Amino acid sequence: MPDFSLTEEQSSLREMARKFARSEMLPHAAECDRTARFPEEIYRKAWELGLMNLNVPTEFGGSGLSALDICLIVEELAYGCAGMTTSIIANCLALEPILLGGTPEQQHRFLDPFCASYQLASFCLTEPAGGSDAGAITTRAIRHGSGYQITGEKCFITNAPHASLYTVFATVDPKLQHRGITAFVVPRSAAGVQPGKDEEKMGHRASSTSTVRFEEVEVPEADRLGAEGEGFALAMRTLDQTRTPIGALATGIAQAALDHAGSYALKRRTFGKPIAEHQAIQIKLADMATKVHASRLLTWAAAARIDRGEAATLDSSIAKTYASEAAFQVADDAIQIHGGYGYMKEYPVEKLLRDAKLTQIYEGSNEIQRIVIARELLKQYA
Amino acid sequence: MQILVFVKPVPEAETRLRPTADGRRLDTDGVKFVLSGYDESAVEQALLLKEALPGTQVRAVTFGTSPRSEEVLRSALALGCDAATWVEAPTGSEPELRETVRALAAASRKFPAELYLLGQQSLDTEAGMVPTALAAALGLPGTNGAVNLRFDGSRQLLCFDRERGGEIESWEFPVPGVIGLKQAANDPRAAKLQNILKSRKLPIDRIPASELPAAVADAGTVRPALFTLPPARTGAKLIEYTSPEDAAHKLVRILREEAKVFP
Ligand SMILES: Cc1cc2nc3c(=O)[nH]c(=O)nc-3n(C[C@H](O)[C@H](O)[C@H](O)COP(=O)(O)OP(=O)(O)OC[C@H]3O[C@@H](n4cnc5c(N)ncnc54)[C@H](O)[C@@H]3O)c2cc1C
Repeated sequence: MPDFSLTEEQSSLREMARKFARSEMLPHAAECDRTARFPEEIYRKAWELGLMNLNVPTEFGGSGLSALDICLIVEELAYGCAGMTTSIIANCLALEPILLGGTPEQQHRFLDPFCASYQLASFCLTEPAGGSDAGAITTRAIRHGSGYQITGEKCFITNAPHASLYTVFATVDPKLQHRGITAFVVPRSAAGVQPGKDEEKMGHRASSTSTVRFEEVEVPEADRLGAEGEGFALAMRTLDQTRTPIGALATGIAQAALDHAGSYALKRRTFGKPIAEHQAIQIKLADMATKVHASRLLTWAAAARIDRGEAATLDSSIAKTYASEAAFQVADDAIQIHGGYGYMKEYPVEKLLRDAKLTQIYEGSNEIQRIVIARELLKQYA
Repeated sequence: MQILVFVKPVPEAETRLRPTADGRRLDTDGVKFVLSGYDESAVEQALLLKEALPGTQVRAVTFGTSPRSEEVLRSALALGCDAATWVEAPTGSEPELRETVRALAAASRKFPAELYLLGQQSLDTEAGMVPTALAAALGLPGTNGAVNLRFDGSRQLLCFDRERGGEIESWEFPVPGVIGLKQAANDPRAAKLQNILKSRKLPIDRIPASELPAAVADAGTVRPALFTLPPARTGAKLIEYTSPEDAAHKLVRILREEAKVFP
């Protein structure tokens, strides 16, 4: 039988993240959302406390947490601010290819100095003409001397303007399609690396997203992760690890929306009683709570499977898809329960809807997740 | 140098406490207990002194019941205390002032230190009795409301500040002694993730209170007889007004004539 109780360690990690989210992130969430400020001081503090490089083993200076530990923390952080959480966990995404595809020598060379101080990294896969269709990317890695020369443009890259390290996916031969894609580690300091300006976004406005241009950037062969052509699989294996925490992030948004809606429903009175006593509102709250609970359990189940070392593609896709759609619906219901006040920026719930939307799009859109879910599912019937 | 820092578990800030059905105690079922804010300042102060004086050992001590006692000691360990001692109170009992002082004094005899630090009062009862009572029980100098502890150049004399009516008094204090810290006297650090994980594996010394030699004469205990909730607030009155001046006039009239707050 599965055991859904948390260990003392897990409870204390969750407690710590909750405290950080509510005392350090939440008080600045509305301001950063309004002004699209990138609160570097909060990210620095997160790093100082060990909340940044969660998936990196302690031998390289990271926190060395299990997938379930990471989900517990990410849910709490997202309750404070989803946008800040996206920027805090972007390092996990960017460094995962080094953990999965790097040699021990590369891992020490890149990760030891990186984790020793506050630094940000970016995962550079998406391109203007290749998002869901990652096999269609056109950034080229051309053999040059003893290494490569990388040229091309990435877009929608989290933390790119602030990052010191990029994991970059480029093709050594576009004709090979996904079999030509190869992964590299590129420092910001390399000549020809040009992050663009911050995009104006609908939500996650405390996070920073921009293009990155690579102009004949020289990369030594020693900085290639895995063999030529192994990059596509590496990107997919990376997303297999990081998709589940997106389910947790969505759960955090949904929990925040539910909490706001519940306490508002008890306070707001219409027709002589609190709206929480109108059955229509109760049903809404009950459905919201059910979705939050299901989201949490689906992410925990997927994370537990990852931690057992089992194939978790199906579970993590289900968790991410369900939780991200639930978060949007729950935030929508929270606005509805707030009535006109919910539509006002002065109240916190409309931000939650804008933040929830992204979780349906990034780290593999929900349409792509459904393709994955169906493919895994049909294997069982073949 | 040895520093003992006493910590008390108090209900988390947002907790809504209620009396039990018989009104004899507070219902702590499912209540989460955390380190009292004043004690956080004391722990922070102990750790700052430890950082300033290499070789300093900080031991956190609490008196109380399970599991809240272990929880606050784990928090203290995660923050950087070197050791932790739990003086176990009988299950189900709520520690009372004299029992607490007796337990803490006995622990102080067992782990002699140069400095005994604690919050000037706890966040729940806010009685502020323990620092003075403990100093008296130990026959040591004691003070309350201190901030900014530091040693002078010779490292022999402890100095601290105390705020009084907007002025800052600077004091010199002979060690050993007992000092109650003001809350937010410093900016208490948060525990790092790795230290939280490590603290879970560190040992906590357990001493049943009954096994400690009595450090002060047993003068009996005093407990509250009954807990009741304050009466629920009655309905607010909304003032209809046309301008801020109008609202102020109406408010003053109601305060004077109806509420009779002033003649
Ligand atoms: C704020 C933000 C941060 C991001 N951060 C990063 C980052 O750090 N690194 C990075 O590499 N990327 C990042 N991304 C990119 C993100 O992963 C992509 O936007 C996402 O994968 C979708 O790609 P696309 O935008 O090109 O949409 P498209 O691929 O053009 O898709 C358009 C629509 O068509 C649907 N669709 C596409 N193909 C199919 C199909 N076969 N069947 C059915 N429907 C389909 C999609 O689901 C979507 O609804 C970020 C995006 C955003 C918005």
